[in-house]
Amino acid sequence: MHPFDFKEALLAKHAQHVVLIHFPIALFLAGVAFDFLAHWTKRQSLAAAAYFNFLLAALSTIPVVITGILAWQWQLEGQKLKGILLQHLVLGSISSVLIWVAWILHERTRRNKIGILPWARLPIEAIAAAVVALTGHLGGFLSGVNGPG
Amino acid sequence: MRKSVFTGGLFVAVGIVMAGLGAGTGSFVASAQQKPSTADVKIDNFSFGPAALTAPVGTTVTWTNRDDIPHTVVSTDDPKVFKSKVLDTDEKFSFTFAKAGTYPYFCSIHPKMTGKVIVQ
Repeated sequence: MHPFDFKEALLAKHAQHVVLIHFPIALFLAGVAFDFLAHWTKRQSLAAAAYFNFLLAALSTIPVVITGILAWQWQLEGQKLKGILLQHLVLGSISSVLIWVAWILHERTRRNKIGILPWARLPIEAIAAAVVALTGHLGGFLSGVNGPG
Repeated sequence: MRKSVFTGGLFVAVGIVMAGLGAGTGSFVASAQQKPSTADVKIDNFSFGPAALTAPVGTTVTWTNRDDIPHTVVSTDDPKVFKSKVLDTDEKFSFTFAKAGTYPYFCSIHPKMTGKVIVQ
């Protein structure tokens, strides 16, 4: 496949999932870093950066989840999953939920206009980052990034 | 003396004929009970080995996943001639090729992994 052949890339079924997944991962991990820095430095601008990172990360999980399910349905014809594939599906779903939870916690604070983020968000974000990393690790295995060619 | 030589020669001749008949019968039995042909393809390190397999009609090809990653074996033809479920490590999939032809296939999880079976 030519890397700039848009039509072929678009019709490559599950290839989009492998591409799109990088957006929520990068945005969420950057958001977590911003939020931890905001907590330690007490800088409002960093908290705002974290909020927008979480917002975009949460939104980008939607096409990722859709393309992941399409990959399952198209490439594997919806057959019962097991092993690494099942683990990837379960952890991916948990990751998506946790990313949304992280954003909702920030969104609530902004709406309440109190301006104090709940302390409990930090362990939730740390756990979410770990689950995202594990999901990505399994996804990397599945996609064959370590394989030849 | 002449008689014993003649008798001995007769036994030898009969022995040769019987041995020939026996050998002929043996070869007939062997061809009648010939085992169906089988071939193996190993899936390892994100590739099929051998990538191109040539086999006679009626051969049963067995793919074995030796990788740590799940793979599939799916015919490229439309409609699909054969299609495996997801094969985890050490799981196998077999298909018997009843017709001559070239059968390309791939792994639907890793479409870059391709192979073909040439049935003659």
